[in-house]
Amino acid sequence: MAATKTRVSSFSRNVPATLAPQIPGVKTGPNGTAFVSSGIPDLDRIVGGGFPLGSLVMVMEDPEAPHHMLLLRNFMSQGLVHNQPLLYASTANDPKGFLGTLPSPVTSRADKLSHDDEPVEEKGLRIAWQYKKYFGGSQQILNSQGAMENKHEYGNDFDVRKPLQRQFITGQKVECISLQDCPDLSALRDRCATFLAQFPRKDGSISSVGRIAIQSFCVPECSYFNREWHMLSFIKALRSMIRSSNAVTVVTFLPSVLSPSFSKRWQHMTDMLFSVLAIPDEDKDLAELLTGYQDMVGLLNIHKVARINTQVPVILEATTFSLKLRKRKYLALESLNQAPVDGSSGTSYSTSGSCSSTTSSKPGSLDF
Amino acid sequence: MADSICRTLRDGGLEGEHAPALTIKDRISSPLGLDVFNHVLAQLSSFILAGKSQSRGLVLVALTRSPSFYLELLKSGGVQLNSAQKWIHILDCYSDPLGWKDNPSRHEKANTATDENPGTVALFRDVKDANKLFCSVSELGKELLGPIKGRFSVAIDSVSEMLRHASLTSVASFISKLRSHDQVSSIFWLLHSDLHEAKIAAVFDYISSMIASLEPMIHPSNGERLSSENRSLRNENLSRGNFSVRFKRRNGRVRQMCEEISVEQSGIKFTPVSSDGQAIGGGPLPKVQFNLELSEKEQMDRASVVLPFEHQGNGKPIQIYDGRRSLADTRTNTVHVPTEASEAADPRKGEIIYLRDSDDERPDSDEDPDDDLDI
Repeated sequence: MAATKTRVSSFSRNVPATLAPQIPGVKTGPNGTAFVSSGIPDLDRIVGGGFPLGSLVMVMEDPEAPHHMLLLRNFMSQGLVHNQPLLYASTANDPKGFLGTLPSPVTSRADKLSHDDEPVEEKGLRIAWQYKKYFGGSQQILNSQGAMENKHEYGNDFDVRKPLQRQFITGQKVECISLQDCPDLSALRDRCATFLAQFPRKDGSISSVGRIAIQSFCVPECSYFNREWHMLSFIKALRSMIRSSNAVTVVTFLPSVLSPSFSKRWQHMTDMLFSVLAIPDEDKDLAELLTGYQDMVGLLNIHKVARINTQVPVILEATTFSLKLRKRKYLALESLNQAPVDGSSGTSYSTSGSCSSTTSSKPGSLDF
Repeated sequence: MADSICRTLRDGGLEGEHAPALTIKDRISSPLGLDVFNHVLAQLSSFILAGKSQSRGLVLVALTRSPSFYLELLKSGGVQLNSAQKWIHILDCYSDPLGWKDNPSRHEKANTATDENPGTVALFRDVKDANKLFCSVSELGKELLGPIKGRFSVAIDSVSEMLRHASLTSVASFISKLRSHDQVSSIFWLLHSDLHEAKIAAVFDYISSMIASLEPMIHPSNGERLSSENRSLRNENLSRGNFSVRFKRRNGRVRQMCEEISVEQSGIKFTPVSSDGQAIGGGPLPKVQFNLELSEKEQMDRASVVLPFEHQGNGKPIQIYDGRRSLADTRTNTVHVPTEASEAADPRKGEIIYLRDSDDERPDSDEDPDDDLDI
């Protein structure tokens, strides 16, 4: 409407100059937040952009499966690819060894095409309208290729089969701590504080961004394992340090080895909470219920999404996603889809079949 | 399925991987843990002696029963103990775990079994120190293997006993150090789950790669008065039970299997579950949606569907259909011939023959409303 009016109204729109991020790998979002990619493009899309700077992300591990390592590796690789300094702490005697298992980013364009095609399809809604022919000239769908290319700079797909090139790992950017060397968590907290001092948060510009990754924080072998209040106050101190700096921390922990009340306290302390679950192998019921069961590596639950600077909650369409390795290389998250129910099972009223969609031979607990 | 446990222990771990670890968990209502432990021990010993296993020796940390018990057990199982010190070493933490006895040598003389097999049993007097225990175990293992490169297995009689003396952290680090020791091929232990808090059982579930738990066949409910029926049920539970195993597989998935176990005079028997098993592994699936997305093939098919009015306006004269067939008839003969032809009574196609309700209806209502769909 403003385009057709020639007179200038007394209202002039004040378009704020968008803060172009000076460094790659950081995207600005609403409410003054800046995001960094988690290393998994699907996850970035689901949580609405990525991990906000200044947030604490926690991943609850499953004692039966090592899937949290997939998330952690992608997160660390993404940071290294964007030249963001990384602090890594784990319980291994030699944490540097883990760096050799980080995946390398995918650069070829061919593998990215599958991402591009989908949104273009949805925009082109084909309407078979009787009078369309009188209006002449079909409207071209805006070529969104340009927008896609910018996204590639923000978040990459990682090929889990190829290790990250050495040039990313060597250098001053990566610090490793072994949690076994820290008898007391205050030493660890001091290390984190000195690391985070490199990225203070000042108004406006973001000069550099850092990442902290702590793996298996409450593993039973640590000397501080019995001191649960101690661990909790470490997490609290870490969160306050993170808030005032341009960094993101990912901590993985095992909720089943903590007392239930402490596990809840930890979960409340964090900004973003995920949990990974193992799936049973060769489970016929599950194979019938879900499509794509064979390819699934595990399940990811999203419990909390970070909402910093806003009171508006995020309500996700689905909170459980399946972790899959697309083409056995790229980690992907897919929403769970129910397989078409076999017509012969269960829901006919003539037989006393059960309501569940699983095999009809076993009567379920509900008989209608 | 108990065979598959023993096979996994026999095969050991790959290079650079943690050694497979088995927890045998039992409880007061199904106290068959020691029998299962003995069974696994006997099986592994026979594999070692036959040379079929990755490990060439076994180090047994005996906390709840004396070393002579185990040597007798192996002998009664038909295992020759002549050259026992070549393949089995027992760390005796039973005779004097806390170092209370002043003169340990006096006690050892009473032990005839160890006299027959010298060098098999080593006394350990400081169970509170898990580090020292680890050093002793690894030394014994190295002794077993000698100069030849190889691996040995470790069996811990009862981790519950260890937890009495040492803290959870030290026991957990003891086991994980053993698992990551490059000469340890496999490790298994016994745990009485109701002696400890749930947290401790969770820790051992986390550390192990296979969890074998024993459950009673008939669950005794708490607070029932001890009647003769209950007593017989409970006696049943002393000799039979459900044996379920959770395997953590390399692909990140969990395999659960179940069997029935019965312990008799002759030995242990494992039988497949007779009754219909319930759904295992419940539901980590709270919300599953129907598949609303299209696969690639489906997208291609959708793209190739011809929609009604699409082909018009592409150079051909635009036809305005105003609802009367007769006009179209007279105006064109060429373009819409295919559609006209289809209106003629084609014996192969379906035809709708109808009778008019009354002559009041307007002439337009005779038409087939689908005619204006121009496909």
